[in-house]
Amino acid sequence: MRFAAVVLAAGSLLLAAADAAAEIRLPEGPGADLVYAKCRTCHDLQYVVDAKGLLPAQWKAVIASMHDYGLTASKEEDERLLQYLTAYLGKNPPPAATPAPTAGATTTVDGQAIYAQNCATCHGPGGEGQPGLYPPLARNPDLARDNGAFPVAVVLHGLEGPIDVAGNRYDQAMPPFGHLSDAQVAAVVGYVQHAFGNAVSASPPITTEVVAQQRARPMTPAAVHAYRASAGPAK
Amino acid sequence: MHVDRRTFLKFAGMAGASGLARWPGAIAFAYAADPETPSAPSVIAGKSPQMIVHNAKLGVMETPLALLREPHFTPKDILYNRTHFPVDGAGRWVATTAPMDAKTTEEWTILVSGLVQRPKTIRLPDLATMDQVKRTSVMQCAGNGRSYYWAKAKTPGSGWKHGGMGNLVWEGVPLMPLLKSLELSVDARALYLTANGKDVPPVAGGADMIKSYRLEAPQLDDAILALKLNGEPIPTIHGGPVRLIIPGYYGNMNVKWLTDLLYTAEESPSAIMQKTYRMPIRPVEPGKFTTQDLTQQNSTPTYGFAVMSVVFSPLANETVRGGAVDLKGVAWNDGVVPLTSVRVSVDKGKSWQETEFEAPDGPYAWYHWQRRVQLDPGPHEVWVRAIDAWGRSQPIDGLATWNPGGWDWHGVDRVAFTVA
Repeated sequence: MRFAAVVLAAGSLLLAAADAAAEIRLPEGPGADLVYAKCRTCHDLQYVVDAKGLLPAQWKAVIASMHDYGLTASKEEDERLLQYLTAYLGKNPPPAATPAPTAGATTTVDGQAIYAQNCATCHGPGGEGQPGLYPPLARNPDLARDNGAFPVAVVLHGLEGPIDVAGNRYDQAMPPFGHLSDAQVAAVVGYVQHAFGNAVSASPPITTEVVAQQRARPMTPAAVHAYRASAGPAK
Repeated sequence: MHVDRRTFLKFAGMAGASGLARWPGAIAFAYAADPETPSAPSVIAGKSPQMIVHNAKLGVMETPLALLREPHFTPKDILYNRTHFPVDGAGRWVATTAPMDAKTTEEWTILVSGLVQRPKTIRLPDLATMDQVKRTSVMQCAGNGRSYYWAKAKTPGSGWKHGGMGNLVWEGVPLMPLLKSLELSVDARALYLTANGKDVPPVAGGADMIKSYRLEAPQLDDAILALKLNGEPIPTIHGGPVRLIIPGYYGNMNVKWLTDLLYTAEESPSAIMQKTYRMPIRPVEPGKFTTQDLTQQNSTPTYGFAVMSVVFSPLANETVRGGAVDLKGVAWNDGVVPLTSVRVSVDKGKSWQETEFEAPDGPYAWYHWQRRVQLDPGPHEVWVRAIDAWGRSQPIDGLATWNPGGWDWHGVDRVAFTVA
């Protein structure tokens, strides 16, 4: 028997299912939100999950080394990351909790605080973005696109594909932040719509209902890119 | 297509595998990818769906041994990959096995500078008109085999088995003669050659993928600026249109998308040179010595391959027919001296039997070894160990070289299988 044939057959059967792979989920626990926020700019969470079982000193070294690779986190955030990783991805993690509908371990609905933790690494503390990579959120017409439903979809489902904002091109993938609760997503989108000199007043305030509607339409980051094109020009 | 076939081995002379079925005796083997991870071709266009994806965003994937053992030279669709920055978003230009587009290739340049009086620029079209040489060599991730260290203690990094390697034919322009011909007037303080590629970190201020090599290293004499892999333009994901190939050096040292070569007095300060891909020079204990404790004084970069051998048949947990069982696999080292012995044990190291092995396609390529043994039905284990002319070998217990980055696994390979 030729195994190559066996392998080929098995592989092609799996292909369709694999392409629809879900976002890698972390064990529920305080601080998981910070890992989602900080670690997916550069690599997916497989690295974090694969490292389950590291000793506390090793996790501490990992966080320190990630600062060399561009991690932006305050001392307090480093400490929270360390506490989560050693507790939930250490040698003796607690039994897995029943998955909650949303994994927002931090219950704050302070849009400014959510922005600082989740968004500022890439989009900048003042919403200035990074040239060529991450678009500015200051005076970004996309905030009003589709009556504000579009930015909600971006936060929930991510975005991948080149976009032009105010005449400049940006092309770095944004991961989904669907682990945030509806209230948190509404708060952070509402905050950004009125921060950094923005005044997206034409759009009605983003409610949790709007977020729930968008959450009910699962999309890949590439599909969100297509949604942006189909939603017509931003006003 | 083979480069100068070396005949330095007194054990050479095996008839070759061509007259035999490659993997006789196999009864059943099946491999299933993890359905939770994206398929390899959705991460890197042109990769086989059988590849094991370790990190989709970074395009990290390894080859199941059932695929790796089939071809003599590893084709691009099943060659492992490790890239250090995202292969989506702005990094998506690398995420394909297709060659770089003609215009980019035409305009590509390599700046040679640093501690030289006359920096020079090499244009790729000029490189393509120079005399080309072939280098048949193993390419291997320094993290290959890392998951076996986890039996002692976890390390960060992907859980590679043995599939982070391939046996490849590179073709390009010999590096050192070319640099000499440029009449750079190199400063006497230059002890290192430092290489950088076109890839950039996904966030401002992140460590760049920059590597430094000691100019006195023997492998540099065989280094090439490679333009072809297995007879074709180098697939973009594997560093095309031009990659620095230093045969016998771990994959991370072979900088992809080469744009800069610098003569330097020191190793690059990049964290990818100073904290990652380094081995402590003495044994260290988990949790007591971390990657943050690595210094230039207490560690060495992962340059040349350790002596290593791997069993390709039987595969782990495979069931084969008895009583004559053909044990087969590959072995290699850093190419500085030849391997002199590859031995197998079927009694967990109590006794060892010499294998026959083929002279490789050059000093840096895989040696194919085989040994026929008589085995009764039931569970068995084969161990394999290679030794080179300098007496360098593999630890019987590979955990002896446990290190906080999980590099350089080269323990005796131990494979459990069943004879029907």
